[in-house]
Amino acid sequence: MVETVDFAPLFQPRSVAVVGASASAGGIANNFLRNLREDGFAGPVYAVHPTAASVEGWPAYPTLAALPETVDYAYVSVAAGRTPDLLRAAAGRVRFVQVIASGFAEAGEAALEADLVAACHEGGMRLLGPNCLGLYSARAGVSFISGVRMEAGGVGVLSQSGGLGADILRRGQMRGLRFSSLVTMGNAADLGPADLLQPLLDDADTQVIGLYLEDVKQGRRFFEILRAAGARKPVVVLKGGRTEAGARASASHTGALAQDDRLWQALARQTGAVLVDTLNRFLDALLAFQCLTPRARPSENVVLFGNGGGTSVLASDAFSRAGFAVPKLEDEALAQLEALKLPPGSSVANPIDTPAGTLRQERGAIGGRILAAVAAAPGIDAVVMHLNMPVILAYSDPDILPNLIRGALEARGAGAGRPHFILVLRSDGELSIEAEKQRYRATALSLGVPVFDELSDAADALACLAAHERFRHGA
Amino acid sequence: MDADIAKARALIEASAGRVALSEDDAKEVLACFGLRVPRRVVIGFGEPVGLALDGLEGPFVLKVVAPSILHKSDVGGVTLGLGDAGAVADAIDEMARRLSGHAIDGWLVEEMAQAGPEIVIGATVDPGFGPNVMVGLGGVLVELFEDVCFGICPITPGDAQRMLDSLRGVRLLRGWRGAAAVDEAAVIEAMLRIGGEGGLMMALSDLVAELDVNPLIVSTRGVMAVDARIVLRGDHG
Repeated sequence: MVETVDFAPLFQPRSVAVVGASASAGGIANNFLRNLREDGFAGPVYAVHPTAASVEGWPAYPTLAALPETVDYAYVSVAAGRTPDLLRAAAGRVRFVQVIASGFAEAGEAALEADLVAACHEGGMRLLGPNCLGLYSARAGVSFISGVRMEAGGVGVLSQSGGLGADILRRGQMRGLRFSSLVTMGNAADLGPADLLQPLLDDADTQVIGLYLEDVKQGRRFFEILRAAGARKPVVVLKGGRTEAGARASASHTGALAQDDRLWQALARQTGAVLVDTLNRFLDALLAFQCLTPRARPSENVVLFGNGGGTSVLASDAFSRAGFAVPKLEDEALAQLEALKLPPGSSVANPIDTPAGTLRQERGAIGGRILAAVAAAPGIDAVVMHLNMPVILAYSDPDILPNLIRGALEARGAGAGRPHFILVLRSDGELSIEAEKQRYRATALSLGVPVFDELSDAADALACLAAHERFRHGA
Repeated sequence: MDADIAKARALIEASAGRVALSEDDAKEVLACFGLRVPRRVVIGFGEPVGLALDGLEGPFVLKVVAPSILHKSDVGGVTLGLGDAGAVADAIDEMARRLSGHAIDGWLVEEMAQAGPEIVIGATVDPGFGPNVMVGLGGVLVELFEDVCFGICPITPGDAQRMLDSLRGVRLLRGWRGAAAVDEAAVIEAMLRIGGEGGLMMALSDLVAELDVNPLIVSTRGVMAVDARIVLRGDHG
């Protein structure tokens, strides 16, 4: 299909139909209907049920063809074998349909999947799935999983795995990501990554794109779209199955060496997309892009500041490995730090290592003074403040930690040239400390500061941002 | 790009049904796209050397021409440093005895290239991404060290430079241990002639499945494609 498709009804549907919910028992389609109410979906919702007059409190119609209007989005959860005929009879009443059932090509039923695609096209609709979990759209108030936040943000995600899509949504929100939309693509029988990427690149509500991919059928088109986009919008790619040995028999050296992993690295190098290896790195990279504005000069020089000598040493190693320098501070900043007359045990060389006792000075306000000296130093691209929470919280004064964080946020400077500011809140996992950490995380995020659990996580995330900056710089 | 695509296609069409082009034809195809290849002649099996080498300058390299031999040097099908026609004739006799178990079409005799670092430029057609090009530290150990980098075609000059920069061994080209820095621009140009806009893979990806130029010898004065293999698409011919 080559005609231009308007994807707004998918990314932000204004009317929804749900097929497969029970009038008596509760399945996933019932959950989807309940979520629409809980998540504040504002438009009309139609259940499709052979006999009931209403399902989960929404009006029900016997077939899709009987709906009183054409809906933007239909969620269909009936057995695989029944799906093609059901959609063939939809008579143009649906713009985008998402088929949840498995039992298609992934189970060896390629003919059934081909029939499903044909049925959708005959019925005038485009298909998501099958073998997926659904759609999340913050602005529309649509979510395929219950209990997630509907606060809209700028992170748009396409996932070829439904379960991982749910993980991305839940875990991502816990660490501060705010999504515009998340689409699970399943088998991508009709609409796949190459089809949905351009609309996300064009979507004004989406500032950064995350892709979980397994099998990209139209790899070349996907590459060409990314290449033409020129990394104007950051794209983070988590590609599964990259280490699978090339199954192709090969009659050349090059053929033997042309593995999936190397071609995805090529794609990243040529398009400026950022390739990551794990779910954690994927979420951390998205968080860095959500919070930090890429600098015109690619990030290189990092200042580390916090409590813990060994931690500072390991942090320097982690940032060096990630491609950064942890340089000596120039004289003026050093003089300002020395003028603060920090107690013995503190080190004002970079990394700036201040024992917890030092951070107690002025009930934590010293942190802001230290950072003010550093943030103004020329040539510094990023400042990373790391706090060992259990150590600082062990002091009886409960204001020290909030004062430290507030002081740091105020001291980080203003304007486009200011360094990236990153907070690392290190916890021992104890429940009360984790709860505190979530509170500080929320405060920091509301001020545009990303929070990471460990310094190595921060280093890897900043490296993703720096790779994007370098590509933009060289382009 | 000043490529003679029609001639290259005609060479490949003439070999329809074969798995791969002969080395001589593969080099001719490379030459159609502006890559430097050695001056050479093919001497038929059982034919005398005679005047075949007139106009060429030694030292020479002798290579067996036999479609069944995939990696010639592994079976003793390559002899280097032959000073004149007489030495070539002796080497042919010796090689014919050594490879008597193979069906031999003839002998490829080439002018030997100037010494220099050996790199590999290759290409394949991926089912998803389509034609792609590879650069790496070359020679017979390319699959052992795996110091290679791919680009999806067509690559730009910037892509080619970044691919080269990504090789761990790139310093070998830049004056490693007192050697002279080689002509890196010529390497970039060769990569573009194979994988760039209008290059070999963009022009011939309907015919060519895989390609190895290994080694491409790099010197202070350009590059030379010393060995070449072009594997044809099975669905063609």
